[in-house]
Amino acid sequence: MRASYKWLAEYLDLAGLSPAELADRLTSAGLAVDAVDPLNRGVKGVVIGKILEVHPHPHADRLKVCRVDVGDRELQIVCGAPNAAPQQLVPVALPGAKLPGGVEIGVAEFRGILSHGMLCSAEELGLEPRYLPKRDAEGLFVLPADLPLGADIVPHLHLDDVVLDLDLTPNRSDCLSIRGLVHELSAILRRPHRFPHSVPAPAVEGESPLRVRLETPRCPRYEAQLLEGAEVRETPLWMKMRLLAMGIRSIDLVVDVTNYVMLEWGQPLHAFDADAIAERTIVVRQAREGERLVTLDGQERALTPEMIVIADPEKAIGLAGVMGGENSEIGPSTRRIALESACFDGRSVRRTGQALSLRSEAQQRFEKGVDPAAVSSALHRATELLVQLAGSRPVGAPRRVPAQEEAPKPTIISFSPRECSRFLGVDVPEDEMRTCFESLGFTVVQGEREWRVEVPTRRPDVALPADLYEEVARLYGYDHIPSTSMRLPVEAPESSAHLPLLRRVRRALVDWGLYEVRTYALTSPEAEAPVSPSGVPVPLLRPMSDDRRSLRRHLLPSLAEVARHNLAHQVPGGAIFEAGKVFLAASWPQAALPEERSVLGMLWFGETEGDPFERPRRYDFYDAKGVCDALLARLGVQPTYRASECAFLHPGRQASIQANGQSIGLIGELHPDVAEAYEVERAVYAEIDLALLASVASADVRVAPLPRHPASRRDLAVLVPQAVEAQALVDAAWDALSDRDILRLVRVFDVYTGTGVPEGYKSLALALGFQQEERTLTDAEIDEAVNTVLRAWEAAFGAKLRA
Amino acid sequence: MSDSWNHELEEIRARALASLAGASDSKGLNEWRVEVLGKKSALNQISKAMGGLAPEERRMLGEALNRVRQELEHAWRTRQAEIEAKEKALRLERERIDVTLPGRHVPVGAAHPISRVIEEIEDIFLSLGFSVVDGPEVETDHYNFELLNIPKDHPARDMQDTFYLTEEWLLRTHTSPMQVRTMERMRGRTPIRVIVPGRVYRRDEDDATHSHQFTQIEGLVVDEGIRMSDLKGTLEAFAKALFGPSQRVRLRPSYFPFTEPSCEVDLVCVSCGGGGCRMCKGTGWIEILGAGMVHPRVLDMSGYDSARYSGFAFGLGAERIAMLRYGISDIRMLYQNDLRFLRQFSHA
Repeated sequence: MRASYKWLAEYLDLAGLSPAELADRLTSAGLAVDAVDPLNRGVKGVVIGKILEVHPHPHADRLKVCRVDVGDRELQIVCGAPNAAPQQLVPVALPGAKLPGGVEIGVAEFRGILSHGMLCSAEELGLEPRYLPKRDAEGLFVLPADLPLGADIVPHLHLDDVVLDLDLTPNRSDCLSIRGLVHELSAILRRPHRFPHSVPAPAVEGESPLRVRLETPRCPRYEAQLLEGAEVRETPLWMKMRLLAMGIRSIDLVVDVTNYVMLEWGQPLHAFDADAIAERTIVVRQAREGERLVTLDGQERALTPEMIVIADPEKAIGLAGVMGGENSEIGPSTRRIALESACFDGRSVRRTGQALSLRSEAQQRFEKGVDPAAVSSALHRATELLVQLAGSRPVGAPRRVPAQEEAPKPTIISFSPRECSRFLGVDVPEDEMRTCFESLGFTVVQGEREWRVEVPTRRPDVALPADLYEEVARLYGYDHIPSTSMRLPVEAPESSAHLPLLRRVRRALVDWGLYEVRTYALTSPEAEAPVSPSGVPVPLLRPMSDDRRSLRRHLLPSLAEVARHNLAHQVPGGAIFEAGKVFLAASWPQAALPEERSVLGMLWFGETEGDPFERPRRYDFYDAKGVCDALLARLGVQPTYRASECAFLHPGRQASIQANGQSIGLIGELHPDVAEAYEVERAVYAEIDLALLASVASADVRVAPLPRHPASRRDLAVLVPQAVEAQALVDAAWDALSDRDILRLVRVFDVYTGTGVPEGYKSLALALGFQQEERTLTDAEIDEAVNTVLRAWEAAFGAKLRA
Repeated sequence: MSDSWNHELEEIRARALASLAGASDSKGLNEWRVEVLGKKSALNQISKAMGGLAPEERRMLGEALNRVRQELEHAWRTRQAEIEAKEKALRLERERIDVTLPGRHVPVGAAHPISRVIEEIEDIFLSLGFSVVDGPEVETDHYNFELLNIPKDHPARDMQDTFYLTEEWLLRTHTSPMQVRTMERMRGRTPIRVIVPGRVYRRDEDDATHSHQFTQIEGLVVDEGIRMSDLKGTLEAFAKALFGPSQRVRLRPSYFPFTEPSCEVDLVCVSCGGGGCRMCKGTGWIEILGAGMVHPRVLDMSGYDSARYSGFAFGLGAERIAMLRYGISDIRMLYQNDLRFLRQFSHA
């Protein structure tokens, strides 16, 4: 909403308050002013001149040489505007004048002819052409004939006005009008407004020739006035300039009056060519299936039964509250005008506008709610202006439906001053509260403990005691509210189970050199295709782009995108992780919300960072596994790894991560096809389900006593076929000695192939640790155990002890 | 006779001391020791030959012999210590390394700046007695809007353009639905003090200041007797903890459908300290979060009688805090995850 400072000043004493100060006061009361823009964008030294003669330029076809009277002298000025004509009053930039954009006017020579200044167009004066009627926007800006010759143009063009640009919150529909803002300012500034007591109904007797039928409950009130004749069609300069200041395009006097009154009262009006209304009968009804209407902008609109139309008995003539129909548009030949002032259901207006992608000023006001008390006044005011300015004559009294004029009822709220002070945490004097309400135009009936506050219908946002507290707080000043401490009991904090876990995971991974990333949850089925995740993608109804049109089902595509970005930006490699959600659905649409699963995803891509002692090398499976092992150890989990079969991972280089007998994640090198699809060459991915991890993780520590008897360690190197997994030997060792309580450790510490190892075999070195808490083990006992293990290995895997 | 022995002893001694001075390493020293003090040494031969002497003569020669032997042994030990010291010094010198070479690479890693901000804010509120809870990112229209006093077709829905999955399901546009979910879970118990960090989504074009996905931290307090001044006091404590003890907050009236009264909360500009600069557009204040007293309708709809209970809620953007705190000018940097950017957050 834009607001003209001078218009506001018409209804309120703004003495001593600059536009900037006014903006501050409004902002601190909750009506944020985004900008304070003077209409004058740098016009200086421009006067009103009269063109006396226009001659063609002897050496240039498109230029004219004008003799111009500027009051105290006559000047020769060269001009290129096609519309320059004798007797016109026009803006004249005298030599030395300044125009917006830092233009300075001097005496210039155009093809041998001197020009003492410049005749100006509206745009050259800094007026936005889009807010002016076509004939004012093009060529010289021709001024009304009654302006004083030679006078400074700034006050006469109302360029000395300043526009406040307000960013209103949706609850303050009452401030979408000058009158509403004046009410508000009156309360903020504690200065009385000076509105006229009432706007009289036109002094015409007799029933209106217009008939109105309301056939939908979505129009609770409709009023219309018939006027005859509109001889004057030129909008006076002051009204044009006021509309321009408010950001409304001037079109034609009748339309301008409806807009002007809307800006003044907040009540949208519409003017129909009354002769286009069959039987002089206005019908307000829901649109019919398949009905079409060409709106004022020339577009043919397909209507739906949800929309409210203004119609006559034969056809639709307008979309209620949104836009008029072309078939009833006011034009130069219009003789009779039907003025409409009505209330339409905001919800329907909003839906209609959304369905047709229209967003008019009228629509914005209807959808936020108009004041039913303003319907008649706005109609009267527009009638008055058309009589004064256009020479129109009202025919009959206004038609009002419903007929009986029932004053809209104010909202009554019972209010406790004590509770208000308690709620805000500051003792606001009762006088202060009463003054605050009264300055807002609320009526206060003071009771013993409770007050009765009557809120006029123009403030539908005030309905509850809390709304009144807010009025008190913002007018008294939020700055008066102190900072206090809550008096709350001390209690043990609770927290959702995996958050501390997430922090432990994050801290550990960061300490081991991984970088945490945060990526978008929106992706596309194509981006996920290489991973072929389970279930179906959950799509958005209205995505903003194709590549962000569904919820992700997997973290790898997100992490791969990060890897690809980095590899393309001179980062040779790295290890990254994200703890994020994936969204799973078996089918879509489905009866249940998609399942949200919190997953830890990790990716190692490119090369390690080298140092003088280790050349850079590609990250491999064991880099990833080392981190997983360490992470799980940090979380008190003992994992086992079992070869797995995941299609997007390398078939021979992947495993599922298991803990407590369940799979909690997976790890593996990307399948070469997948790596190629994501342009990451080779990378290793690991993921762990955070909810499952939380179920097995532990931070509890129970200390075991240190052993009192020495431990013995035996290192064994065995030859086994390549295909035998190290874990199988480890498991077999434990199994073989499960009958005696002496084995404490089995660890693989070397793997070797090459010289001395036959083709198809590998050498694995394992350490076996033996100990007993009660006694020292004998060598014979240990030798026997080692032999038992070796026999088991040989039986199961053909393992041979290396010499 | 004893004179000639003495003479010979003196000669052996002189020769030995001279050659000892010539021994320059452990090997030479060892050879000297075998030659001078070993079994086949001249001294040993004299000692063997003594048997034929008269007792008095033998005693005198024996004493002389011992003196020479002890002197030579002492000289040997001294020389040995010298040589060992020298050799150790040489070895240490050989072992000198280039201490300016970088150490073996230990990768450092970094938490994402948003996580850093979230953890920091969580810690502040945990210390103020709040709990941290988490909620779903796919929400229902009911929780995201209607129970927050934003019915269908409410003009306030324009403030948040929404990604819908179906007519009723959507990606949450704010963490505020967790106000309702938390109250429902608490079933009328008090006090409630929670914060909810989480991802939220809006249909905004991504640019330097907008992101279709971002991170909010919601706060909610409900109890009997909660005042608007408590909101201000809590947020002031938070601001001081996050940005330093000289921070102050300013409340400005605003509007959210689920709070009444509502406010925008400003901090003293972190860039200029309140003097006015480009960042704060000359005002000395920067907007940091939205807040307000929980709307009575929201309390009632969530099972807390608004005649008895009151509360406050606030919501802040983690991205905004991160951008202010770390001097990040483009929000997209936070989602691009360029390691050259993330590395700058390595120092924890």
